[in-house]
This record gives sequence, C-alpha cells and structure tokens, in this order.
Amino acid sequence: MGLKQIELTVNDFSHPFLVESDETLLFTLRNRLYLTGTKEGCNQGTCGSCTVLLDGKPVLSCMTPTLRCVEKKVITIEGISSGENLHPVQKYLVKNGGLQCGFCTPGVVMTAVPFLEENPDASRREIKEGLSGNLCRCTGYKKIIDALENAAAEMRS
Amino acid sequence: MSGSIGKPTPFIDAVQKVTGQAMYADDYRMPNMLYVSFFRSTESHAKISKLDISEAESYPGVCAVAIGKDIPISFGVLPISPDENAIAVEKVRYKGEIVAAVAAETIKAAREAVEKIKVVYEPIKAFFDPKDSLEVCAPEEQIHSHTKNGKNIHKTAELRFNEPEKELEIAKNKQSGFFKFAGVTHAFTEPHSTLAIWNRDDTLTVISATQVPFYLHKNISKVLGIPLHKIQVKKPTLGGGFGGKSDPFPHEIITAYLAKKTKRPVKCTFSREEVFITHHGRHPTELSMSVSCDDDGIITALDTDIIIDGGAYGSFGVVTSYYNGVLLQGPYKINKFGFRTRRTYTNKHQCGAMRGHGAVNPRYAVEVLLDMMAQSLNMDPCDLRNKNFLPENTLTVGEFRITSNGVRECLEAVRRKSDWDNRYGKLPFGRGLGVACGFFISGSALPIIWNRYPQTVVHAKLDFDGRIVMFSGASDIGQGSDTLLVQIAAEELGISMEYVQVETADTKITPVDLGSYSSRVTFMVGNAAKTATTKVREEMAKAISKEKDVTAENLIFNNCRIHTKDKSIDLSWEEGVEIALAGRGAFVESGYYISPKLGGDFKGSGAGLSPAYSFGAFISEVDVNPNTGAVIVTKVWGAHDCGKALNPLSVEGQIEGSIHMGLGQAISEEMRYHNGQQINANFFDYRIPSSLDTPDMDITIIESNDAEGPYGAKEAGEGPIHPVLPSIGNAIYDAVGIRMMELPITPEKVLSKMKENA
Amino acid sequence: MDYYHTPSTVDEALTIAGKLSGNYTFFAGGTDIQNYRKQQLDTNEYVIDLSEIEELDSITIVDGALHLGAMTTLDKIVSSDEIQNHYPIIAEAAKTVATPVLRKTATIGGNLLVTNRCTFYNQSQEWRDGVGSCLRDVGDICQVTGGKNDCYSRNVSDTATALIVLGAEITLMTPNGIIQKSLKDIYLPCGIKFHDLEERCILTQISVPIEPKKWWYKKLRLRKTLDFTSLTVAATIDTAGIARVCLNGVSMSPILIEKPLKELTLEGLISIARKNCKTVDNDLMPLKYRREMINVYLKEWWKSFR
Repeated sequence: MGLKQIELTVNDFSHPFLVESDETLLFTLRNRLYLTGTKEGCNQGTCGSCTVLLDGKPVLSCMTPTLRCVEKKVITIEGISSGENLHPVQKYLVKNGGLQCGFCTPGVVMTAVPFLEENPDASRREIKEGLSGNLCRCTGYKKIIDALENAAAEMRS
Repeated sequence: MSGSIGKPTPFIDAVQKVTGQAMYADDYRMPNMLYVSFFRSTESHAKISKLDISEAESYPGVCAVAIGKDIPISFGVLPISPDENAIAVEKVRYKGEIVAAVAAETIKAAREAVEKIKVVYEPIKAFFDPKDSLEVCAPEEQIHSHTKNGKNIHKTAELRFNEPEKELEIAKNKQSGFFKFAGVTHAFTEPHSTLAIWNRDDTLTVISATQVPFYLHKNISKVLGIPLHKIQVKKPTLGGGFGGKSDPFPHEIITAYLAKKTKRPVKCTFSREEVFITHHGRHPTELSMSVSCDDDGIITALDTDIIIDGGAYGSFGVVTSYYNGVLLQGPYKINKFGFRTRRTYTNKHQCGAMRGHGAVNPRYAVEVLLDMMAQSLNMDPCDLRNKNFLPENTLTVGEFRITSNGVRECLEAVRRKSDWDNRYGKLPFGRGLGVACGFFISGSALPIIWNRYPQTVVHAKLDFDGRIVMFSGASDIGQGSDTLLVQIAAEELGISMEYVQVETADTKITPVDLGSYSSRVTFMVGNAAKTATTKVREEMAKAISKEKDVTAENLIFNNCRIHTKDKSIDLSWEEGVEIALAGRGAFVESGYYISPKLGGDFKGSGAGLSPAYSFGAFISEVDVNPNTGAVIVTKVWGAHDCGKALNPLSVEGQIEGSIHMGLGQAISEEMRYHNGQQINANFFDYRIPSSLDTPDMDITIIESNDAEGPYGAKEAGEGPIHPVLPSIGNAIYDAVGIRMMELPITPEKVLSKMKENA
Repeated sequence: MDYYHTPSTVDEALTIAGKLSGNYTFFAGGTDIQNYRKQQLDTNEYVIDLSEIEELDSITIVDGALHLGAMTTLDKIVSSDEIQNHYPIIAEAAKTVATPVLRKTATIGGNLLVTNRCTFYNQSQEWRDGVGSCLRDVGDICQVTGGKNDCYSRNVSDTATALIVLGAEITLMTPNGIIQKSLKDIYLPCGIKFHDLEERCILTQISVPIEPKKWWYKKLRLRKTLDFTSLTVAATIDTAGIARVCLNGVSMSPILIEKPLKELTLEGLISIARKNCKTVDNDLMPLKYRREMINVYLKEWWKSFR
C-alpha cells in the first residue's frame, strides 16, 4: 500500500499529486482535486452517479482505480462543455425538466454524451437501454429520455 | 400577467445541476475539518454492559470520541414522542444503531479507530414481528419503558363515526380482505451528509442534507443545550428527500456535538448501507378492511384494523398511525367510517414518513376492495367510483373541509385516454387494465411543534440593484420550490424571472418555514410569497402614484415596465425602483400563511386537516407472464388535480416520479430482513426500477382552481403516488384474474396465487 | 514493491505475480472485484491490473473458430458484427450482464471468472459482523443452511452459461506454458473453491468452433438491468442432434446437461437438472420460486424447438 506520486490529466490539465495506491478515481476527483460535480451515490457500481469519461469512454469512477488512469485523459462533468455553451444534452435536460434533485444528473450527462455520440440515431427504446445503469429516484426517467431525444436530434443536425 | 405562472419553467438551479456546480452537503469542506465515522450495534436488542473507547481515543489522528452518555437528552421530530438518543444510552434497539462516534483528521483514521472500539452486549429478547409486539412481555423485554400495559405498542389511534361495524354486520354487499405490505424506503440518490462548524463566537453552523432545517435547529438546541439564537442550520442543494430527510437525525446531532467539543468543523457522510440502515421509510403494514355498498353501488361503510411496524423508535409514527385511517375519508363519501391503527415498536430500523405518508398502503386496500365490489355488483369499476365521489365544498365524516375537487374530471380523463370502455375486461389473457383513485392533504394545517406563529413567512427585499430577493425558509429538495418563489415574484411584479433571486432554507437568514413535508410548500409558501410580493408592488405603486400624481390602482406592472393603461406614465422597472426607494432605501415586505381554523372538536380531529386536498385517478396497463408470474407495467395514465399547475413541468415531473416510486413499491421494492438485519441494504438487491422498468406515462393535469390556493394551486408531490399501486393491483386482476393482497407483487406471489386460483 | 501493477504483456503479468507469493489479485475490468476489496472480502495486498494488455483485447475468426481475447469488454462483444452473425447467443448473454456503462469496462474473462455470490457473504464487514460471519468468510457455520461443512455460494456468470453450451475451450497461460481446456472444466462444485485453476495463471483466450446450432438463452431477474442472475439457462442443439443445456445461478458451478436430443425427454431433463443443482436460499428470489423456474425455463426451451 502507501502513497504514490502520479500525474493525472483531468479536463485537459495535468495535475501532479500523491494518491493512496488503492484509492478510486471518484475519491481522487472529489477529495484531492475538489471536483465535486462527480457524485457518490453508492460507491458500489450500482447507481451511475459517478460516471466520468476515461479516454472518451464512460466509466464508473467509484469502480476505477486511480492508478489505472495515469497517462489517460479523464473528463468530468466540469469539463464536458467548454466555454459558454452547454452541451445539447445539458441544454435539453434543463429545458425539458429532465432533472429534479439533480444528484444523478452529472452521471446522466456523462453517460448520455458518449452514448449519443456513438449512437446518433438511437431510438427512444435504445436511449432507455443506454441509460439503464443510471438510477434516478425523482423523475421517473420520462423527461430525461425526452431531453435525450431532443439532444440527439440537435446533435445530428 | 407576464410572468411564468402556469408555463413550463425550467428550475432556476437546473444549469448549476447539469454542470456539476450545485453544492450538496458532502461537496462542502472547511479548513481544518474533521471526519466522523460511527461504531454501530451488531445486536438487535441488548444492554450495553461494557464499552471501551480508550484505544480509539488514543488512535493516531483521533480528536474526539462520543458515546451515549455524552449526549443523553432524548429527542424526536414529534415533541410527543422524543424516544431516541443521538447515541445509544445503556441499550441498543436495532442492528446498526450508533453506539459511538469518532472524529478524526481523516476519514481513514476515523474508520480505523472505530475498529478499536470494544463493546460487550447482554442480549435481550428481540422483537421482529409486530404481532409479537402486541403481546405482554417481561418488563426487561420492553423495547421502551414508556409503553403501556407491558406491551410494545407505541401508539393506538382510533376514530369511529356512525357505527360502521353495525352496518357491516348487516350489509348485503360487503367486501373484506386481509392485506400485507412490506416496508419500503425512500432511496434518494444523495446519501445523508452533515457538516457542522463551531464558530469562534460560540455559535454553531450546520450544513445538512435535510428537508426540515427548522426542526433540526430546535432539536440540536434541545439536545446540545445551545441557545436557539446561537444556531444556524442551512440546507444546501438537496439530493432528494421523499420524507427520508424530514426528521432530525442522530448523525446530525452527533456531528454538531463533535464540532462543539473539538471547536473544529466536522463532517459526516453516510455510505449507501448506512442510508438504508437509517431508513425512516414506509411502515410494514398488515390490515384487514371491510367495505359495504347498497345495491346501487353507493358506499355505506368502511372499517379497518391496521398494524404498522414502527421499528425501534417513534419518528413520525403517531402521525402515521392517524394518517393510515383518516386519509381514507376521501375521495369517496363514506358516512359510516372507522379505523384503528396500532403502531408497534420492533427491533428493526425505524420507520417514519415517506411520500404519501401513512395512506399509501390502506389506499391500496380500499381501491382493491372497491374493484371487487364493482365486480360483484356487475358494475364498471369507474362507474362505481363515479357514484361515490365527494362533491366540492363539503365536509367529510371526520369534518375535513373539502374545497375544490377535480376527481371526476381526473377519472374521466384517464378513462377516455386509456380507451377504458373499449378495452377493460376485453384484453387477451395476460394483459389487463386497472383503475384507482386517490386523495391527499395539501399541507398539514397544524404544526408539529405547537406554536402561535404562522406556518411560514416569506420576505421579499427590493434594493438599489432592482433585484428582488426572496427570503424563505422553504426547503427545495428537488421539487422546485426555489423556482416557485421566483415565478411568484416575477408574476406579481410583472418582471422577468432574472430579476428575482432567492435565499432559502437558512435558519439565520431566512424567516422560518416548517419544512418540506406533508406537501405543504406550494400552498403555504406560495401564498406567503404572493402576499409579500403583492405588498412590494403596492409599496412601489404608492411611491410612484405620489411622485407622478396618478392613482396607484391604475398602475400596471407588466413586461418589466410600470405604466398606466394609456401609457401617459410608462416607466422602466429600474425607474420605478428608483422612485420606490427614494427617501427610504431598501425595503423588505413580509407575507405569511396561517391555515384557517378547521376541523371538529373530538380527540384526534386534528390529524389530516388541511386547507385543501388534492385528488387523482390513475389507470395502469400490465402484462403478466402466466408462466413466470412476472409483471410488466406497460403504461400508466395519470390524472391529478393540483388546483392550478404553477409550473406544469414540475407538476408533471412529480406525477411521473410518483409513478416510478409507486411502481417500485408495487412490484419490486422491499426492505428484507434476516433476524432484524437488513439483507438488501444496497442498490443491487433493493430494487428501485430502472429506466427500462419504468412504463410509458401519459399525464393529465386537472385544474380545479382552489379558492384559497396561490393562483388556485394545491399539492402535486405526494397525492399522485396513492392511485399508482392499486391501479397496478387491479390491472393484474383484469389480466389474469387474481387478487394480489400482498405487496410487493413479486413473480412468485403471482404464480402461487394463480395456482391457488386454478 | 509497488502495490498496483499495470503490465503490458501476459508474460510480464506472470513474472510480477511470481514475485508476490500469492498475495495478489488480478483485475480484469475490476468492476466486480472492487466491491470485494471495499468490503474486505479480498484482502490481497497487491493488484495486478490486466487492462493494459492489448494482446488480450481481440475478436477474431481463424480456421472456422471464434477467438475472444479474455480482456475484450462485454460491450465490444455485444456490438460485434462477427459475434452477432455467428453467435448471437454470446452477444445476448453479454448484454444481460450488469449495465451498459459497466459493460464498457467489464471483460469477458472477468465475467467467466466472476466470484461466486451469496446473500450472506456479499456484504460489508460490519454487516458480516452483525450476522456472525460464515464458512466462506471467517465463521464456522453456513448462514443459509446452518451446516458446518458446505458452502453453496452461487456461480453467477451469465456468459459462462452461454459459452459452455457452445463447447468453448479456453487458453490459460502459466509460467510453465500454455494450458488448453474446456471452459466447463474450470468450475468446481464448491462454494469456497469454485475455480479449478493453476496457482499462477491468466485466462487469455476463449475459443468457440463455428458451426450451426439452434440456441436459446434466458436470464431470470426482477429488473431488466443491473441485477445478478437468479437463474440463467442457455441451450443449444447442434447439427448432430446433441442438446446441451446449461443452468447457472442456482448452484456452486454451472450445471451442464449434454445428451442426444432423441434420448431426452422434458421430464428427464428437468429431473436431471433439479438433481444436479444444489440450490439453496442464498438469493433474494425465494428458493421455491427459483426451483420452479428451472422447470418453467426448461419447458420453454423444450417448446421452442418442438
């Protein structure tokens, strides 16, 4: 065990710091980088709230060892939309009421963005499928799915 | 009106939430902060004969260890049942109860120190089945010494009107049933978290994931002996509540205590397993109920006997006990009506308030029995319900004052949209439709802690910047109450929402609101906000009328302008603000809400009183696999009378969320125990529905325009859950001909019932 | 010695393992084993993360056989055209594992070697202390049966169920060379030692001969996602008329029944299955129901080709 010096590239900036050898990316992001947009809902790989991108691929940061991420690129909710504009996924979640308490929302965004990029023509059923690892207790998912359908349309155009 | 009242309005904090900027309790950190970890009981019911914390105290990084006798004053959300200690004193009453707490420099050190704590228990007979708690036991076996007659009954609530039992004895058309409901939990996605800061002016600031900052404030003061005026409780962005964050909790009080003791900021955040252990969810329930009708299908009597399993402590249990019965007085007119609810203590996690508080389970029973009645009378279930609805502006048998009532329109809407008349009873075997109705309070008319203050006060401030700041204690728990405050101010002042900002749920800064529970916020805070901002408008109009020599009543506030009809006076909002503030500067207007005097003068008459009631009707369609017993709910049509949808986006969201949560309780969710220990305290095994399990939804909002609600509004957050469950149960009957009397309706129950039936 | 290793070849991984005298855990995707570590069920000091070994990430068809690198993610398997064309049952099975995001990290090798589960074992340390531990942990009694000898933890690999009925062969790399064996042979009917693997070896490849087969697959679970299996049944009938039926989630190892179809009756099949499955009440779905579903699923399969 013990500490290890690493560099971790998060949202296009490379941070040098010490991590515990066995810590998860979720812990590193929240506690060492103070990037608290990534949420801890279960710490068991069951709720999807901690989803981030690792080299463009969505992963559950609570299941990902930080030391696996060295030399890879991590994108968190804080880095998903650059500059002034929201990503269409974010925009329509806001507009269509696809969030209530908002706690699962960062995970929904980080799942939906790569999903819709990979599946631009996803049907409503496929969107439901793609989102089936993100537990939401407020919305009943309907308005989330509505928002993602609209976001997909905008992303296509 | 130029505001957004009645228009679908995204939440004002939605952008913060989608960008990860919104700050939830665990996102706060302070310099020099300590972390808390808890040592929890591994016994269900036992005397603590030895507790040795010495090794933990000297463990590197540990700053303080707290045990029961450090904070011995008991508390509880209801002043009538303060039966809980922040940390177990002398004995433990459930597995997982906090026995000691460690504050250390890091969470790792705190956890490691907890492992050094040693305890010796002397086990006492444990009670897991509520029926055992109804029996007399040895004095030392009593879970709480205050229960009467040597039994473990926490509360018996009983009301009877016009001898329903006599009617039921002679009734020709009677339906009876015994129903059983597993406990379910809120399962909000944000785990409980509390940060307590001891300020060096000897005041305490607590940032906590709570629906009830005011009750937390009061209970911290009581238990820790800190004067009320030295405490500040702030609710940050909250990751869902559903009633599960509406008690003052031990961890909150302990964290505050440790901050006081160490004079440092202290934080505690629960693991998901701890969230499950903490529970306070819906009571496991067993009930028998009978309903009678005359030959025309008019309900003549209803009587029910209910046992609810409260777990180890009281929480909201006294209220729950009453709500189980009294909230059956609608939406149907029932003149001969009675219930008895007994809430037992058992050695399990405590139960409390959860969305639809108290009435969800007995509502299931009523609606299933009415379905059976319709069948036996050869009547359509919708027609039977239609014949029995309460009218508008009436009193129920227990003297609930019904004002607006859109239940007929609700039923008509879902009946039409689901094509009920052509499809009910006619779908192929395995598919079915079911209907159910519901009714709920729009805010409890009586406060939990008796006082002479209003239910809520809202302040609206206007200053040089032209901005309206709404100060309200109301807790936005994800339902959008902050947005509601902004919408109302914008509406009343004819300005766009961007001019309005909120300061909410901070007991030092905002006027007190009792909290986000009992579906009270839209009605009560909405009315107070409307009054406060109306007064700001009147003040501005008064100043302008004086300066411009015009009658105040002739001034129109619209589109960020203040003008007369003929535009002879036409000021920008900023010009109007300049005039209004001249010679006096910033001002604050206050609005409050007090419920009218309601209810009868019999004992128990206060339970369930509300200034207004919401109504609803739902139809569900299911697909039942007769080979596996699996139930798939394919579509739900939901119609809810919320008086007036101030923000249709959020009203729809509440109804859709209710369908999800109701579906979970109906078919997949269940608190499962093994010798008092929950075996599914995680999201693998406590099965809340996923996006793939949640049905298509068709939502209809019915607006009955309540005379006393703000712009006519009533609640929408809890009422919609009631009809969901029985509509599914009744649909299963239509699909495969079995009556499911036990929830959750898991495949094995369906299958065994189908065999019984065959 | 570093705690966390990310070798880039199988040889390197085996060399590292050789230096750690058994006190290590291999991570494939790591999506399941992380929970064992968090719950102190896996307390090995060192982790050897295989996710950087690119040679193990492949889907190829060579000489009429499908070869899956063990570190191929389930997501790649679900969306692979080759697999969908030749072996939809593998894609189907992979798709029933966990959730879409987890499947982007979870691997086929990891799923084949997933650790056996039990309601009374897969819990936090505090929870296990509360219940009094069990045979597989540090206790001396099975919390499910009350027995003192046998553990009945369940094998929950969905993909194993499908691959076994396809007659999959696996390749294991050890310091002493390559071992090839039938996939079904690595599973032991024991709740504690459930894999028959060399001391130090890495599963590198799964191979399935491509030949036409009728297939059937079904997984019993309450939700359409996330849930571990309560019963998985996979079945094939090959051109020679051999039926292979495999049941998993209901015993310590996958149960394979292999017989010429013409020698098989539904009743006979059910009776063999029920006899071979050592099913106990260690899942959230009740025992009686899971047993009953064995009959129902087998019947459903039987009807599917009649």
